[in-house]
Amino acid sequence: MVIEKMLNSRLAQWLDERSDIVKLTRAHLTDYPTPKNLNYMWSFGSLAMLVLTIQILSGIFLAMYYKPSAMMTSGGYSVAFDSVERIMRDVNFGWLIRYMHAVGASAFFIVVYMHIGRGIYYGSYKGPRELLWIIGVVILLIMQGTAFFGYLLPWGQMSFWGATVITNLFGALPVIGSFLQELLRGGFAVGDPTLNRFFSLHYLFPLLLAAIVGGHVHALHVVHSNNPTGVDVHEGKGTIPFHPYYTVKDAFGVGVFLILYCYVVFFHPQLGGYFIEVDNYVAADNLQTPSHIAPVWYLTPWYTILRSFENKLLGVIAMGASLAVLFLLPFLDRSKVRSARYRPVFRQMVILFFISVLVLGYCGHSVPTPTLKLIGQLATIYYFAFFFMLPFVHKFEKTRPLPEEI
Amino acid sequence: MAEDQVDSRRRNFLWGVASGLGAVGVAGVAVPFVGSMMPAADTMAVSTTEFNLDTLVPGQLVVIAWQGKPVFVVHRTEPMLSRLKEYEYKLKDPESLADPRVQADWMKTTEQRMTRSIKPEHLVLIANCTHLGCIPLFKPSPGRAEWGSSVPEDWPGGWHCPCHGSLYDLAGRVIDGSPAPFNLYTVPYKYLSDTKILIG
Repeated sequence: MVIEKMLNSRLAQWLDERSDIVKLTRAHLTDYPTPKNLNYMWSFGSLAMLVLTIQILSGIFLAMYYKPSAMMTSGGYSVAFDSVERIMRDVNFGWLIRYMHAVGASAFFIVVYMHIGRGIYYGSYKGPRELLWIIGVVILLIMQGTAFFGYLLPWGQMSFWGATVITNLFGALPVIGSFLQELLRGGFAVGDPTLNRFFSLHYLFPLLLAAIVGGHVHALHVVHSNNPTGVDVHEGKGTIPFHPYYTVKDAFGVGVFLILYCYVVFFHPQLGGYFIEVDNYVAADNLQTPSHIAPVWYLTPWYTILRSFENKLLGVIAMGASLAVLFLLPFLDRSKVRSARYRPVFRQMVILFFISVLVLGYCGHSVPTPTLKLIGQLATIYYFAFFFMLPFVHKFEKTRPLPEEI
Repeated sequence: MAEDQVDSRRRNFLWGVASGLGAVGVAGVAVPFVGSMMPAADTMAVSTTEFNLDTLVPGQLVVIAWQGKPVFVVHRTEPMLSRLKEYEYKLKDPESLADPRVQADWMKTTEQRMTRSIKPEHLVLIANCTHLGCIPLFKPSPGRAEWGSSVPEDWPGGWHCPCHGSLYDLAGRVIDGSPAPFNLYTVPYKYLSDTKILIG
């Protein structure tokens, strides 16, 4: 009603004649036909956009006080480390904005991993949504890059040694390895030039992300939303306008999310060392590695895949492949049925896949022991086996009958 | 009411409540973000500056920094002070009454309003032109002998702003015809001893 009035107002009409703003709003927001049976797993897309906004906003304000310099100060720390501590102690609400940003990074990955998991479970990657899925994988990679660059900025022990380990990974590649490594570091070891360029890229990548998210949403609106049954319901029966039903449903999801997010931000911003690692409150020391070093939780599954191989190059290749294979997912799966609800074999496979990713994550965060190494290797095997089995599943899988309509 | 009819009174009420609470939420979020742009605690901690007046020779001007802003400190000689009265008829605001920023707590007498200082010989003022913030040039000697046509023929000595030509006398009072609206702003300061002041 109110929206309808706003869209029919003279100002909106004046703008519409010059920009199509009302037509676009109707086509992509208010009247956009949406399957009527979306469950709460479909809330994570809009939540991801919310967290991206929180990250960009809090990041802009942090950049007003953060100083990317590894130069030593008279206090014996570095300019970058001290500027982060200044944000925490002296800047008005600096503690709040920094915790919003640090917790936001983890929240972003939680939300996006749920979003990806939903896409895999309900077969949202399958035709005609292949490109939509591929753009999504690009978004995931840029997010991981952004998070990695951002983690160096406080210039603590975990920042420094994390960046040392990851830049060394690139050094393991044949022929171009050492070139890539120096290109990333701007020196012979992680140092002041590295910190400066990581800050530059940490500011650039989210802007790329925002643009690509625009492409992701556009691609979605061309091929339309999938739904829990995986049955095509594009127009008419089976769909309802996005507004007000899904705007309200998404707003409810936002409310629940914000309650959890604020609880963590205000009461457990480091979440026991999972969101901000304890060792990162020790200033970077290039002559001493912390006793236990692991990436932040959202990168640990891939870290375990890396550790599972006893050959350095193989490990690096496997880690790269574990992410690259996501691009191929739409083409590996040949089944005509999308949703795991109607694919009994695929459903078992995909649940086991989610468990294997969780196991990989747990192993990557723990101190390496022989037992955990074996478990990590088994999980790695299943991670890849999932993708190798996909092209053959449809040959013997007896799918359950699809509903005529939803 | 029939099942398929819209109860617009209820709907409008919900809209009002929802958007009202939303506005409160946005305002609440704005508080820390805007607040973070205000001076930080360590910036506030260095908000005062001490200055030793016996480092000045009579007639000398120094520009010192207080809270990152430039401040004029002048040691005025007897002839300088005596010239203040002669030019009063050409000033916009000879008794510094136009604006709170040109006044100060210690301005109790008309004499203090005209010399604009606690002790006549020491003048302490914000060094930014009240027009658009440039730092005016100190041209203390009277007439055009030293300054050429940048100052009027009957120049009493004072400041000339290079940006847009505002003129001030030796008490930082703006001369009529200048684009600057007010006299140079005062700075809160007090004497810690005969020769030491605390600015801020």
